[in-house]
Amino acid sequence: MSAVATFLLIRPVRSFGRTALSVARHAGGLGLLTWRIGAATLAGRVSLRSVMDQIYEMGVLSFPLVIVTAILSGVVTSQQGGYQFTGSIPLYVLGSVVASSVILELGPVMTAFVIIGRVGARITAEIGTMQVSEQIDALLSVGRDPVSVLAAPRLLAGILVMPLLVGIANTVGLFAGLVAARLTVGLGGESFLYGARLYWHNWDLFYSLMKGTVFGFVIPLISTHMGFLTRGGAEGVGRATTASVVFMIISILVLDALFPPLFLN
Amino acid sequence: MIEYLDIYKAFDVPVLSGVSLTVETGETLSVVGPSGTGKSVLLKTTLGLIVPDRGDVRIDGRSVYGSDREVLHEIRRQVGYVFQYAALFDSMNVFENVSQGLADDVLRALGRQEVLRRVCGALEAVNLDPAAILGKLPAELSGGMRKRVGLARAIVGEPKILLYDEPVTGLDPVNSAAVAHLITEIAEKMGVTSIVVTHDIEGALEISDRVGLLDHGKLRFVGTPDEFKHSADPVVHSFADRHAAEAAALKIMEEP
Repeated sequence: MSAVATFLLIRPVRSFGRTALSVARHAGGLGLLTWRIGAATLAGRVSLRSVMDQIYEMGVLSFPLVIVTAILSGVVTSQQGGYQFTGSIPLYVLGSVVASSVILELGPVMTAFVIIGRVGARITAEIGTMQVSEQIDALLSVGRDPVSVLAAPRLLAGILVMPLLVGIANTVGLFAGLVAARLTVGLGGESFLYGARLYWHNWDLFYSLMKGTVFGFVIPLISTHMGFLTRGGAEGVGRATTASVVFMIISILVLDALFPPLFLN
Repeated sequence: MIEYLDIYKAFDVPVLSGVSLTVETGETLSVVGPSGTGKSVLLKTTLGLIVPDRGDVRIDGRSVYGSDREVLHEIRRQVGYVFQYAALFDSMNVFENVSQGLADDVLRALGRQEVLRRVCGALEAVNLDPAAILGKLPAELSGGMRKRVGLARAIVGEPKILLYDEPVTGLDPVNSAAVAHLITEIAEKMGVTSIVVTHDIEGALEISDRVGLLDHGKLRFVGTPDEFKHSADPVVHSFADRHAAEAAALKIMEEP
């Protein structure tokens, strides 16, 4: 075999091996971090005040952006559905389309993207900066566990806040879709709600909130994990934050794709 | 007493290659050596902030790496660590930063007034005016003040051991002298065992009972400041004598 052929054969194998190793390392790191957060929480080493602070940061301060995103999601879905259904399908079906799209998909996923951008990136940058400026070492040196102090409050806040934000985003998105349907295709509120109720399943709401809870677990977990792995000064913090955002987006999309076959059959 | 037992640590290349050292109770020992030779790594192995590939550290007979989590936690509470760039918590003011040096159960037991009294005491011990800086954030402090707040955080819990990582790096000569003076004063007043990692040879010779020279991952020399100054070893000599250091530097630069 020629040297070129060997090179061409070895290179993808080596690249695959490196990627597999990296995935395994991250999976191991995330598993270990989850275990340590669970142990710290069960042992009562997590400060309630820190959890409340994170709930405020993650929930209350993200509220306006979540509302704006939810309104736009509802409005766009309603407008596009109205455009496609006019003259072909009874317009009240639009209520069902908007309700399903917002509750099953757009509410949880768009809220997750807002939280990734506003909170997840900040968590990685904040913990990454603490890592490269020896503040994590300083915590250890004064006998404090960084997992209990930094990671656990963020994860607990994420699990508590995300389903609430998703619930609010669903309600606002649905209402915005209703208003947009009235203004653009003249569909009355009662007809819209009739359509929404026609294909409604109570499970859908539970499914949506469950997605929110899982996303609320994954975003702080990945962002803190990536923060703890940060090395190499300001450039390292930038690199870790970018990698963290990509990691979170891909994870949310993959989990989102896994939800229907697991829970919508 | 602190005992480093055959410490090995490699990152991409070996950094520490079998360092063994004993620091007696109440002693001040400075570790000097060229940049990148593993001085800070050695200091961090004392508390498990960097875990060695081989070897152990014993503090008063208790193993740092052979003990469970609770013992390590207890060991860390006996040690104060002063970081190179202070490593103050950005989001906390000076009061909160210094009070972090007290253990959680101590904080709960003391109550806010007593904690405030102790924090003020620690700040005064490092020649800072508590009233002027208690509410300030680290970003509002000068480099020298940050170092001293870091030192106050390290001593507020009344540790038995103090570890200093480059305590005068980045400071002007006046602040450097002030910090060096504080190290001696605290060691005398509190009777602590101190290890100082530093580039400042003159300061090290002044404040230390013994000086160690780390070179290429090994401890090349350990002795009193007098022995250090008069050592026949050319590497030690190049550190002890400014002219010898300049000659060594020229030699390195002339090498192809």
